[in-house]
Order: sequence, then C-alpha cells, then structure tokens
Amino acid sequence: METFGVVIIGAGPGGYPAAIRAAQLGATVAIVEKEELGGTCLNWGCIPTKTLIASSDLYARLKAGGEMGLQVDGAAFDYAAMTARKEQVVGVLRNGIKQLLKANGVKILKGTAAFQTRNRIAVHPQASSGDPGSASTVIGAEKTIIATGATSSMPGFLPRHKRVLESRSFLELRALPSSVLILGGGVVGCEFACLLAQLGVRVTVVELLEDILWSLDADVRREVRRHMEKALGIRILTGRALENISADEGSVRGTVGEEQVKADVLLAALGRKPVTEELKLENAGLATNPQGFIEVDEYGRTRVATIYAIGDVTGGPQLAHAATSQGLVAAENTCSRTLRKNEKYIPNCIFTSPEIGTVGLSEQEARAPGREIKAGKFMLGALGKALAMGGTMGFVKWVADAETDQLLGAQVVGPHATELIAEATTAIRAELTATELAHTVHAHPTLAEAWMESAHLLVGTPIHSLPRKKK
Amino acid sequence: MVRPISMPKLGQSEEVATIVRWLRKEGDVVAKGDILFEIETDKALLEVESFFEGTLLKIVAAEGQTVPVQSTVGYIGDPGEPIPETPAPPQPRVEVPRTSGEVRHATPSVPVAEVPKARGARAAMPAREIRPGGKPLPILVAEEPSRFFRISPRAAGLAREAVIDPSPIIGTGPSGRIVARDVKAYLAARGYGRLRITPTAKKLAARETLDILSLEGKGDSGRITVADVQRAIAERPKPMSRMRQVIAERLTQSFASTPHFFVTVSVDMTDLEVFRSELKAQGALYSITDFILKAVALALREFPTVNSTTDGKNIRWHSKVHLGMAVSLEQGLVVPVIRDADEMTLAEIHDCATELTAKARAGKLTPAEMTGSTFTVSNMGMLDVENFTAIINPGEGAILAVSSAQKQPVVREDRVTIRSVMKMTLSSDHRLIDGALAARFVNAIKSKLEEITLWKRLA
Repeated sequence: METFGVVIIGAGPGGYPAAIRAAQLGATVAIVEKEELGGTCLNWGCIPTKTLIASSDLYARLKAGGEMGLQVDGAAFDYAAMTARKEQVVGVLRNGIKQLLKANGVKILKGTAAFQTRNRIAVHPQASSGDPGSASTVIGAEKTIIATGATSSMPGFLPRHKRVLESRSFLELRALPSSVLILGGGVVGCEFACLLAQLGVRVTVVELLEDILWSLDADVRREVRRHMEKALGIRILTGRALENISADEGSVRGTVGEEQVKADVLLAALGRKPVTEELKLENAGLATNPQGFIEVDEYGRTRVATIYAIGDVTGGPQLAHAATSQGLVAAENTCSRTLRKNEKYIPNCIFTSPEIGTVGLSEQEARAPGREIKAGKFMLGALGKALAMGGTMGFVKWVADAETDQLLGAQVVGPHATELIAEATTAIRAELTATELAHTVHAHPTLAEAWMESAHLLVGTPIHSLPRKKK
Repeated sequence: MVRPISMPKLGQSEEVATIVRWLRKEGDVVAKGDILFEIETDKALLEVESFFEGTLLKIVAAEGQTVPVQSTVGYIGDPGEPIPETPAPPQPRVEVPRTSGEVRHATPSVPVAEVPKARGARAAMPAREIRPGGKPLPILVAEEPSRFFRISPRAAGLAREAVIDPSPIIGTGPSGRIVARDVKAYLAARGYGRLRITPTAKKLAARETLDILSLEGKGDSGRITVADVQRAIAERPKPMSRMRQVIAERLTQSFASTPHFFVTVSVDMTDLEVFRSELKAQGALYSITDFILKAVALALREFPTVNSTTDGKNIRWHSKVHLGMAVSLEQGLVVPVIRDADEMTLAEIHDCATELTAKARAGKLTPAEMTGSTFTVSNMGMLDVENFTAIINPGEGAILAVSSAQKQPVVREDRVTIRSVMKMTLSSDHRLIDGALAARFVNAIKSKLEEITLWKRLA
C-alpha cells in the first residue's frame, strides 16, 4: 500500500491548490478526482458561464452600439460556436491544472474515494472512466483534506424530464431554447437569466422569497432588478411559488399564483448540496451535520485530528475563491506546526447585468444593535469614466464604523463591479479607515475613483457630490 | 425656599455612596416621601425619599457618580428660585493600578471649560519639599499622574502621535524633563520602526490610550490588528465595584490579623433529610439551612466563648446570638443578620432567613440588616462542594462553613451502609478559641443535626 503525507479528495478550485501548496511544503501528495480536474468551477460553473457571458455581453453591447456612434447592422450569434469556444477555454485551463499538478509531483488518481479507516482510503475507478474492470486501489494517508464540493440540488417535486435542467446539464445544450423558466432567483438563477436575456431568450424568474438576490442590501437589489426587468425584459415573479409543474414533448408549464407560465425548458437554480455520499465518512469516525455539511473549525480541521475539509462541502460561502483560500490554509496547516486561520473577508462576485461585488458586512448586517455605523454611497453616473464608457448605472457603497472610522463592508453594482471589489477587499482586510481610503490617490479617469469619492462622503468632504442640505 | 438634598449617611462605615439612578428629573414636582434616587453603598442598593415638597430644581450629582455622604446632590425649591452656587461634589478618587499598557499622561476627561489655566493649576500645586541635600523628594506619580509628569509639549505630541506611553522614557532635558529627542531615542531603542499595526488598530489604541508597544500582534507577520487591540482593552484593569472593594478590604483585614484555625466534622444528614421530606409532604417547607441555623443558635448558647470577639487584649462576650448568613449575589457577597436567632423557633428562623435572602437578592437590604452579627454561617451546600473553609467575618470569633450532603459508604455497626454525609468546617480565631473548644462546639452542632428527636420536638 502506497502511503502519502497528504491525500486530497476532489480536484476543484479548493483541492488542486491545496495539493500544490502541500507539495511545495515538501509533502508527498496524491489527489483523487472522480470526474474532471478543476471541479465545478472550471468545468460546469464559473468559467463556462463567464465565457458565455463574455459573448452575450459583447453581443448586447454591439446591439447598443448606436449610442456609442457605431453602426452595427446584422449582428448575430452562433450559440454552437459560443459553446465550442467555452469548451476550448475549459480545455486549456484543465490542461494547465494537470501540468501544474504534475510539475509539483502530485500523484493524480482517477476514481471515487472512500474512507476505510481514518488513514486508509480506497479509490474506486469510475465505471465511466473507460476501464470498468479495474480493481480499486487502497492508499494510506497521514493527513487528508476533503474537498468534494457540492452539486446542484434537484428537489423531488420537479418532474424528471429532458426539459427540466439544472445549471450543469443546461450548459451542455448545443442550441438555445427560445424561452426559459428559471426556478430560483439566487446568484445562479440571476446570472443565467441575464446571460440568456442578452441573447434574446424570453426569461421568467420565479423566486419564493420577497426579492431576488435576497442576501444583498435592498438598494443593490433594486438597482439590479430594475435593469433586469426594464433593459433586459426579464419577467421576475417574487414572493410566490412555482406550482403544478409539468413537462411534455412541447414545453414545461407551471402556475405562479393564478397565472400560467410556460417555457421551452425549466432551469432549476435552487441551491447546491454537499457531496459526501460516497466518502464513507463513518469509517473515518466522521459524520455530517443535519444540513449535510462536514463541520470544521477556523483552521479547517474536522473532528478527526488528521482530516481537514474545505470549500462547499463545509458550508459557508459557496465560492471558488473561498475554497482556494481555505485549501491553502488547510494545506499549510497539515504541513506546519503554526496554524493559520481561514480568512474572514471573502469577496462575493455576481456576474449579472449589471455586475455586483460585495465584501465584508452589508449595511443591513452592520446596523447591529450597539454599533454606530456610517454608509456612503456614490453613484457611478457622476464619474467621468462611467459617462465616457456609456455605463451610467450603479453605485459603490462603503460601510464604516462611526466611532473608529474602520471600513467594515463594501458593495458595488455596475460595470466591472466584480473587478472593482478587489480594492475594497484589500482595504477592509488591512483594516484601513475611511479617511485613509479617501486620502489615497485614485487614477483619473477610472471607475475606481468611486471608492475614493464614497470614502470622502463618509469623512464628510465630498467634491463630486452636491452638498447635503443643511437641516 | 431652596433646600439642598443631601446624600444620607446610612451606616457607621459608609463614607461614600454612588447614585445609581435618578427617578425624578430636573423640573419634576415632588411630594414629601417620593423616591428621588437610588444609591449603592458598600452593602446595598437603597432608595432615597424626599424630605421636602417642591420642584426638583437641579441635580448636582449625576447617575454613576460617587459622592461623600452628607454632601449635596441636588436642590428642591420653587420654580425660578435661584440656586446657590456650589462646587460640584468632591470626587472620591478611584485608584486604578498602573500597567505598562496604559498611557498615563492622558488628559483627564473633563469638559474643556472646567480645566483651570495651566498657570493657575501650577500655582495650586503643593510646593515640593526640599531635602537638606537639595534634591527634591521622589514624588509618587500614581496619585496624580498628569500633574507631576515632566514632558515637553513637543515630546508629548510625539508620544501621542506614536500612541505610546512616555512614562518609562528617561528625560535628558532640564530637570530630567522628557524632550523630543528622548522620545525619538526611546522609539528607536524599542524597535518602533519595525512595529506593524493596521490603521484602524492604531486609531482605536489611541482612542483607548493604550501603548501600542505593549500590544502583541497576531495578524500576518505579527501585525497588530483590531482584534489585538480589543483584547488589550478587555484585559485592561478596571476599578472593582464598591461592594467588591469593601469585600476585599474586610477579608484581607480579617485574614491578615486573625490567626485562623480549622476543624472539620462529618454530619450524617440521612435522618434529617427524611424528616424534612416528611415535613414537606405535610406542607412545612424547611430548608436544610434552617435546621443548621437553629442548631448553631442552640450550640452558641452552650458555648458563649464562640459567640465572642477579641482585639487581642480584651474579650467581648455577646449576650445575644445574632446569626449572619452569607448570601452570594452576582456582584459579590452580602451577610444579612438574623437577630436574636437563639430566641427564635425553627419556623421563625425559616421566615426571617427567607425574607432576608429575598431582600439580599433584590439588593434591598438596609445597612441595619447587615450589621451586628456575632457569628456567621456560610452554606455552599447547593454548590456541590466536598469541603471548604471560610474567613471569619471581622468582629466575630468564628464562622461555620457548610458543604454539600453527599451519599457515601459509611461503616455502621461493622457494616457498610450508604448515608448522606455533610462536612462542616469551623474557622476560629485561635486567640479566643482553643482546639478542644472548637472541636466540642462543632460536635455539639453535629449531634443536634443528627438527633432526630430534637427536631421532632422543635418543628
């Protein structure tokens, strides 16, 4: 039996960086993957959707080219070519990971991992991997990092039908449906809604909660929803359930309250569930919590001393970069005597149209009892760069502690919001004050100036806002 | 006519009291007997009534302020009447132990208008005594830190900007005054340039007058973060409540000046517990404490020496048995007194103890109800303890510490049987009470508690 210093289960955005870091720190490392290197993020999540969004976004901008002085006639798209490009991008990145793992001496094992004991793991080759006859291998693991991630949940009330899809199967379509009913107005549902609407698909979003993107501040939600409804023509039905769902050869139907809704396909975007079934956690002395997640402490440790867990399978933010950060922390902690804690500030990027970026506390969360806060919102439309670009919607918002001036949270909605949030993340992690941010020179003309202007608002000395009326 | 409201003097030992809450505000019309405010003394929370009727014209002592007894805390009169000019009540000084973590030169938080001009303040300072050698006596800075600390304004500004405590800096200016170059040299020597701190952490430390050189950074590469500053704030010494300070003073005095010695006995409580359950079934709800108090009161009558006190030269016998019973509260400990416990029936002791305990928990004991005890019982039976010793209440000769009754194997007539056993430890003033006397006394209590026929007669 071959024994490794660190065995990583799952080669997603959490697992593969953990493997590389452990190898860099001198451990013998094996990584077990049952499907594709790169996990959900690379193969069926972030990267493919962002590749498609890049196409759809450009298409939407081309169509609006008249406003910018362009004459674009007969702009059209070929969805099959768009998906082929997506496959190509994914392929390049997947190959990159393979090269990196190999170059760092990480052993890649194809198959499904299951604990036999806490230090022994069986790897069963997948029947689909082309060699159904091969026997399973057993490896020894001094330390293990579980990074199995999560998968789309398909609740039992949904009919099993080829017109009822989740995000992964939707991405495999080679032709666009003409209408889509999206069940769930969370991040995944809204990103798909914007992508499809930009390509001319008729989209209806049904969300049981009061609003879409419920965890965000109300002003951010309002900005995005307005654009989705007014500019993209998406129907958004909130506060009501989609009932009586049925699918047949021609369409998918359901009722929302009194209303009949109908589309070519239904895309279920109802959250994701952790992948633990095949792990046989009980053999390692582990169990999942009632929600199905593997619980870990702030150092990434499970209840079993030699086993760590990271990413979606542990609950917390279901974000690739959170998993990557946790993966690096866990890998360092398996190989080192001084423990590092998981990072507190994880930026959240939503690729809707307009984009959203948030980090730290929302205004709503920051207004906890016993804390005085101040919030400063600066409209992007007041910036030269935004006007020049032809994108005047959106805003940035700082939330700071009124007493210490500490920046506690930031939200941005508008063009390039997902890029802009990086500055706010750095500032918040470094515990900068609003005053310092306001004094930091920001290049002109850029969208990033909005952070400086918004910080000026908190300090009370804005240049590019109208003075507040004296009371 | 305008009449001053004064802080009442409520007991022999109280010199100060703290205003917890004003129940009336300025401008309110008050009748004689209305409750004006609540105060906290060493021993209790009390309500203070108005002796006059009229309008509450002015509140001089604010909530949270501690003032000497009999000083003026406010005025009552007719609306519009002029209020006599009075200085604010003198502030008793709260002495906080100094640590290196605190910047000592911080300006006291007094409204700017009240700060006397520097010249005046200097003139008001006592002249420094000159020794024959000509050198000034060292001055205890702990008393009035900001006044005697010699530092140039520029140096002080540097220290403030650096968020450090300048007091350890050795001054090289005139008369040992700390000047700017001293601060710079000190910062260099302490490796200030290598210190890493987040901007918010520094700001917070400055606001809380912490010395950032004393902080331990737990961020990346030892960087001091907000969490590190918050930990230092939480760990900073704060003055104890008046009640805790009094407890500290009295216990230290007693334990340091009285030679304590301890005698422990085990009491078989099995029969008494059965009897208590029987009484309970009949509707008589006695607690174990009631039986112990009664047994102690009876025993003290038989052993008057235990019910006496000494100052080391004289002995004072008490003709009465006033039993103190320790009641633990969240903020500390109080000892209400059951007067003439030896003359009370078990039922009377029960009623009195229940009432005093309830008042103690509500913070409503009067000073009179907390003074004059001649012997104290401290019962930790409900706290699941095997055995403990208590410190004698000042002014008494002994104290009984009662622990939990626990089931134990006991040998009876050469057979092992399970009994409920409770340990009691008597702490005695050895100047007054010899070992043999203490032993006879605790055994007298023990035999009373174990003698069930006695309780059948008394209950």
